[in-house]
Amino acid sequence: MSDALLRNERLLDLLVKQATEGMSAAEQSELDRLLAQHDDGDPQLIERIAAAVALAGDFPDEPLPAALRARIEAQAVKELPAGQSNVTPLRPRSTAVASSAAGRFGWLAAAACLVLAVIAWWPKLREMVEPPVSVTRTVPHTPTLAEQRLALLQKGATQSEWSNTEDPASQGVKGDVVWDNATQRGFIRFTGLAANDPKRSQYQLWIFDARRDDRYPIDGGVFDIPANATEVVVPITAKLAVNQPAAFAVTIERPGGVVVSAREHVVALAKVAAG
Amino acid sequence: MDEPVLKRIARGEQRAVAECIDQFGNLIWALARRLTRTRADAEDAVQEIFIDLWRSAGRFDPAQGSEKVFITTIARRRLIDRLRRAAQEPARESTEALEAAGWAEPGTRAEVCVEAEQAARAVARLRPEQQKVLELGILQGLSHSEIAARTGMALGTVKTNMRRGLIEVRELMETFGAQAAGGSRT
Repeated sequence: MSDALLRNERLLDLLVKQATEGMSAAEQSELDRLLAQHDDGDPQLIERIAAAVALAGDFPDEPLPAALRARIEAQAVKELPAGQSNVTPLRPRSTAVASSAAGRFGWLAAAACLVLAVIAWWPKLREMVEPPVSVTRTVPHTPTLAEQRLALLQKGATQSEWSNTEDPASQGVKGDVVWDNATQRGFIRFTGLAANDPKRSQYQLWIFDARRDDRYPIDGGVFDIPANATEVVVPITAKLAVNQPAAFAVTIERPGGVVVSAREHVVALAKVAAG
Repeated sequence: MDEPVLKRIARGEQRAVAECIDQFGNLIWALARRLTRTRADAEDAVQEIFIDLWRSAGRFDPAQGSEKVFITTIARRRLIDRLRRAAQEPARESTEALEAAGWAEPGTRAEVCVEAEQAARAVARLRPEQQKVLELGILQGLSHSEIAARTGMALGTVKTNMRRGLIEVRELMETFGAQAAGGSRT
């Protein structure tokens, strides 16, 4: 961590709070803003120090239960698809715990804008039919993410195009969401989304479920866009079951994603057609 | 030198999963048992932590520390999230009260990795009130307000002790690391 970060008392306070007791939405937003002003720091250092301190404690001398281990191994089979090299979700959350009226209004306003944007852009978006080419590592004898996406689409999964927002980072972003509700699988595809430095920020997908409170979108995972990528395909990793997907949104968050999105940078929105 | 198991998991190597659980399963279980109210809570938390781990393995950078610290960081994030959520729910009693966590006896737990050994030595050099705040906050998962209530310290004092304690631990760990590097060169 740079001395500059250490000298910023408020920033240090927030990093310590994050590492020891967690933060509110407002604090998370403030931390993100402060970190954005420091490009040379290591925002995870305090968490690592706290982890090392935790390891200096004594622990119950109790092995991992065998039945639990079996469940973990079974889950791992589902979580480790080959060819996930450009996907680095770190902190999938079951929900975004947002409570402010302003935050709710922000999503609603964004959803309203989305409808208008989709209408306005629809003709152009429909022209964006390109052969999918994944930038992810190709594993011999294993379908690439692009191939998996195409296969899912051919099985009848829904396809929703991204539309742009007013965020500067949204300009030029194109692509789509392919989602199969029956199997709870899906992929997001992008062109024009800027590469991110995973040490500074990451993209996070949110899924709005028509049967859930729209203040609590389902976390769809955190991901990165590699430098020089032309098109990126990312598998969706929804933590909760999606009942009736209504819309998908992508935000820029701190590394690892957030529990509470400040919703300051919504860079892509896709409304799922009713039906 | 063996390739870190997290790197192999990041490549989708299923065989590395069992090795990872062998190496770190008991640790994650222990962390969860310390920072959850019941055994059932701990089981849920551990499953969530491992899902986080499978998905984030690609972010492990050996230059920033050991796998054990990386995994503990991920586990603590998830456990802190759960603690915060639990704090917003109606209070319920723990069904299994574990003995309160404290510092490990020297030479028993602190040897689990270099960082933990250095952290243990660093904590031992802190002032007693700083040690207490770190113990209650980091080992037992109490919030700053709960630490204030437990110790009688003012909330601001708790925060100051936590912050200064962690910074001093960080500085001491750097010193120990430099000394070890110097020793290994001579």
